[in-house]
Amino acid sequence: MTCELGDPPVRNVKIIPWGKTVAIPDGENLLQAIAEAEIPLRAACGGEGACGRCRVLLKEGRVRQGLSGGLTGEELAAGFILACQSVPVEDVVIEIPESSLVDLRRVVLSGSGRDISLSGPLYRKIKVELRPPSLDDPKDDLGRLLDELRFQLGDGRINAGLGVVRTLPGILRESGWVVNVSLAEAGGEIYIEQVEQVSESKYYGLAVDIGTTTIAACLADLESGRQAAVRGAYNKQSVYGEDVISRIIYAGEHKDGLEELQGAVLGTINGLVSGMLDDLHISSGDVKVAVCAGNTTMTHLFLGLDPAYIRLEPYVPAANNPPPGRAGEIGLKINPGAWTHCLPGISSYIGGDITAGVLVTGMAEAEEIALFIDVGTNGEMVLGNREWLVACSCSAGPAFEGNGIRYGMPAAEGAIERVFISEKGFRVECRTVGNAPPSGICGSGLIDCLACFYREGVIDRAGKFIFKPENRRFREGDEGPEFILAGGLNNREITISETEIKNLIRSKAAVFAGIRSMLKTVGLPVEAIERIYLAGGFGRFLNIRQAVATGMLPDLPEDRYAYLGNSSLKGAVQVLLSKSARRKLEELSGKVTYLELAAGKTFYDEFISALFLPHTDLNLFPSVNFK
Amino acid sequence: MNVAVNIIKEKYSNRINEVVIGTDPHTVKAGGDSTLPFLLFEGETPNRPLVALEVWDIEPKQWPEILTSEFKGVMSNPAAWAGKCEEYGADLICLTLAGSHPDNLDSSPAQCAETARAVADAVKVPLIIMGCGVEEKDVQVIGEVCKVLEGRNCLVGCAKQDSYKTITASCIVHGHNLIVSNPLDINIAKQLNILVTEMGLPSNRIVIDPLVGSLGYGLEYAYSIMERIRISGLSGDKMLAMPMFCQIGQEVWKTKEASSPVEETPEWGDQARRAVLWEVVTAATLAQAGGSIMVMRHPGSLKQFLVHMKNLMEE
Repeated sequence: MTCELGDPPVRNVKIIPWGKTVAIPDGENLLQAIAEAEIPLRAACGGEGACGRCRVLLKEGRVRQGLSGGLTGEELAAGFILACQSVPVEDVVIEIPESSLVDLRRVVLSGSGRDISLSGPLYRKIKVELRPPSLDDPKDDLGRLLDELRFQLGDGRINAGLGVVRTLPGILRESGWVVNVSLAEAGGEIYIEQVEQVSESKYYGLAVDIGTTTIAACLADLESGRQAAVRGAYNKQSVYGEDVISRIIYAGEHKDGLEELQGAVLGTINGLVSGMLDDLHISSGDVKVAVCAGNTTMTHLFLGLDPAYIRLEPYVPAANNPPPGRAGEIGLKINPGAWTHCLPGISSYIGGDITAGVLVTGMAEAEEIALFIDVGTNGEMVLGNREWLVACSCSAGPAFEGNGIRYGMPAAEGAIERVFISEKGFRVECRTVGNAPPSGICGSGLIDCLACFYREGVIDRAGKFIFKPENRRFREGDEGPEFILAGGLNNREITISETEIKNLIRSKAAVFAGIRSMLKTVGLPVEAIERIYLAGGFGRFLNIRQAVATGMLPDLPEDRYAYLGNSSLKGAVQVLLSKSARRKLEELSGKVTYLELAAGKTFYDEFISALFLPHTDLNLFPSVNFK
Repeated sequence: MNVAVNIIKEKYSNRINEVVIGTDPHTVKAGGDSTLPFLLFEGETPNRPLVALEVWDIEPKQWPEILTSEFKGVMSNPAAWAGKCEEYGADLICLTLAGSHPDNLDSSPAQCAETARAVADAVKVPLIIMGCGVEEKDVQVIGEVCKVLEGRNCLVGCAKQDSYKTITASCIVHGHNLIVSNPLDINIAKQLNILVTEMGLPSNRIVIDPLVGSLGYGLEYAYSIMERIRISGLSGDKMLAMPMFCQIGQEVWKTKEASSPVEETPEWGDQARRAVLWEVVTAATLAQAGGSIMVMRHPGSLKQFLVHMKNLMEE
């Protein structure tokens, strides 16, 4: 019998219902096994054993367990464990319940399918006819080509690499002085990427929205401007924590943490790209350029830049406007020579996804004063018009994303997305995504709750329950008083507690306080806002009237509100395809004044006065007259 | 050559509510101003700031001798102590039910109610009732006291952010006025007033307690918050147009300047003079910021403060 001293023991983890089996080194936990299997499990706390999101059912085998935060007594009894806290001591079989998975339906690919007109893409091929040299005109080949290009483009800054010059004499003569020249724009310069015989082959550009939670990508035909394919997926970084802060911490505290996170986001994007390439029957070499829009942290992690200082006062990133790099050096699996651009941000908490959104709204060129809002864990906002723009970012907390709320979840199947309450809280009706049995509640459902609870006298303006002993929906839960919204699967009732209501009020207060702080800075009343653009996944399901009733959004006529869809992706596509979009983006990102809410007292004052339903200054919400 | 000088007058859109405490013919009134404090040329200031002297249901252990000596022989009997305060000229008696504190006597709601009734019967001036500060206990005690004092139209404290419902309900049912406390925050002050009025308590039965600080211990914060509350109230914010309540004595007498005997700090001079001045200056400053009801401890402070008020109230 041989003793395999050299090999550390491995544990096989079989994951049902996927039927996948992965082998992990002894001592690694189940979360790592699930990440290995590329199954998108939720892990809000980043593996700290606190949030209870990564609950899995242990079917066979034994594990060594750590914490069990977030699991109820019943769940423990039923055999649920936390993946991040369980280290297999032998081969095991686990089952991942639906509620622990991130759901793909939440990825917002686009708002409208309208193609963006092509006018000066970042990469293009042009046909060039040169006059052959003669004794009277003995100019060198490169000089001849550059002269012709400068003449055609009306632009002097054209660069050619040695590689191009090496093949130039042969190709020019073989093709009879008529060639295709591929030009790429990067960092304000034009580069000759390739000179080749004239042919009809297609070439593409990649646009990516790198969201903290989801990633959406699009391949656009750079000759026609047509968006040929679009795909979305969950950001595989989710297993390292659901928000940017926990990922920054992970990158800093774990050996190779930054590499792991960069690998996860690249893995997600490369997966999307390869799927689209298959759909279009093209090869990765045909994708000649990429544009990515993400928040500042996502951009850092994508490029492998250290994000540590984003989190620390005075919140300074490595670069708001990182230089373009070649896909090969970043690790993006398209043409390795493809320039990869990241859209410029404004600050650590206003990134390229927001400038992309502002670009899409056109507000930086308009006369009317508009407000752009993207609500996630951070509420990012830009206010202004063609003359001025102010931006701020406030921490709205994770409640709207479904975190920090016991039964909170993304707007996936089974999530309560609308709540109707009547008869003073005795009658409650819920609508779920996909009409499935309720398994939790998502952001729009929570906003409905807040609005209806107040309207029906279930809570007071400060968010405290007004108990009615005869209403059996009130009960004392593990974390204080709670209200039963619906009966769920396995007798698991979906409840919302007073503490959670207060968290929600804090979230909505932060958003409104951010808006008011910007308005105060420029000395304008709420009514001055002529248009409000909502972006991101949260905006999609939001009932505007209910959000106004809670005091989260300004009390303005509903026709002033517009939902943008995935404005980050749209902005990236525009930048890919249009020179004027690039000029506008450069202009607007230079024009935005970032308002640091942590400095000064205005935001705090506004926040406290917004911690009320709808607001301490009831005059700000004239249409909300419940009483 | 004489140049005519036009005095520019501010005209406010609102006035401060007038809160009436006590029963005829011994009522006192707080508030009612239509301008900032003591700007008599500009608007009406119908009521001078009121002074309440503090009476406890147990003998306070921390009070220095210069204070207890003013109430010699009566401090073991709240009713007699209240009588002494009335004699000193207090506009109101502020009965603090410190004995109900679990660390003190932990006296029952019924015992507290008995004491309150005895004090109310012993004096003609109206009563302010304050709990011991432990919220769970105050909820029970204040409810019972409100009940036995029904019809006497007292001023009862304090409704706070996390416990305003029971005490508000007691005031509505038994006909008292309510002190609403906030931690030096104009927004929370307003939020609580909205919540309390929405429960059905009329706004002219509410008094704002901004939790003031003493001279040298945050007085300026209190001043600026009170000033903001007053200006908002006068400018039309009905939910901030309430008279303000200042617990002067409680804050002043815990300062070193008031409690340190002359042997300890000879360079500060005579303790009694120093402590009384500290209390008077604190009260006078906060009256200037808009305070309408001053709760003090030393009869000397009361006397000096009222002289000062008399001067300020004369046209």
